[in-house]
Amino acid sequence: MRFILRLLAAIATALTVGFGLSYYALTDGRLFGAISLGPWTAWPDVGSPTPNPYTRGHLTREAALQLGRSEGLQFVAGADSDGAMLDLGCSYQLTGRVPVSTFWTLSAIDAAWVNLAAPGTEAALRSSEIVRETDGAFQIHVGTLLRPGNWLELAGEGEFQLVLTLYDTTALSTFAASNVNMPSITLEQCS
Amino acid sequence: MTRTLLWLIGGVLLGGVIHIIAILTLPLLAEETTWSRVSAFEAENRMLVLDRVAQGVPNPLRLDPELSYGLCEIDLSNGPAYLNGVLPDAFWSVAVYDRNGVVIYSTTNRDGIGQTVDMGIFNPAQTRLLAQQQIDIAEGLLIVESATNELFVLVRLSPPHEAMRARFEQELSEITCGPRT
Repeated sequence: MRFILRLLAAIATALTVGFGLSYYALTDGRLFGAISLGPWTAWPDVGSPTPNPYTRGHLTREAALQLGRSEGLQFVAGADSDGAMLDLGCSYQLTGRVPVSTFWTLSAIDAAWVNLAAPGTEAALRSSEIVRETDGAFQIHVGTLLRPGNWLELAGEGEFQLVLTLYDTTALSTFAASNVNMPSITLEQCS
Repeated sequence: MTRTLLWLIGGVLLGGVIHIIAILTLPLLAEETTWSRVSAFEAENRMLVLDRVAQGVPNPLRLDPELSYGLCEIDLSNGPAYLNGVLPDAFWSVAVYDRNGVVIYSTTNRDGIGQTVDMGIFNPAQTRLLAQQQIDIAEGLLIVESATNELFVLVRLSPPHEAMRARFEQELSEITCGPRT
């Protein structure tokens, strides 16, 4: 009797650890193939011709057209800098700079990767369209509430994610590993 | 107690094995892959400009709404494939993907190739013929070697302003892609 209980416990542990770890590695993946910089997460190996097994699994799960290594890198944030999930009922501010790149775009998506920009506005913000401080840093407001300055106007409700795509960037390339400055995401107010 | 603990440790080790097997077999078991999504466009040997991403519309390929995308599917078993044409003076990049959605080669126009795309994609056997000068190619052709035959090419083009998009996409669609006729 005791043998069967132990066997069952061992099998339960094996299944939980095996599949739980696999699921984590391919979704959040922070200890495996993904890198997180503040609230932003990226899979730096995703555009490589020989991705590691975790990144390969991630590639398969996403089944998307990923950026090649020399084309750029995509960062996704689902939470603000304090770790709270991004919600369309609130308004957020992105402050800071991005790593060196030819240009970058910022858009907001839901869990199914549907673009959440308000109808009639541009679906994404582009680096050439925004106003910056004299030192090159920027402030971008994101949310459904009316904001001055750079504003990515969104519509809808529920949780969302921000996608920051850097094209032709040196970020996380082996040559400039130290030069990774990502903007912070701070909560402004909730309606 | 010790024996129960040993059983649990055994369970954790077995879990590790399950984890490794799951990660390694996942790419083989997936049914909806990048390849199945791309094949649905039926862009064999022609440059197909993808519809732009709009608000509220599903975007399974995760395209950037600011960019224009040209997609072309090629099969090297019909001979080497060539990508040729002139693109507008703005940022663009070319990526070659294999069946698994892995980028086997990518470059941008900032690598010194200017506005002209002139690229040949060869499998190992064709590369050998190339080395033996059995295949004639023009000088300055960018040579990409691929281990597999079934590939697709994606050109990303970035119109700096919305007003240029139509003209840029027209130029993008004029790129030739596929075996030499």
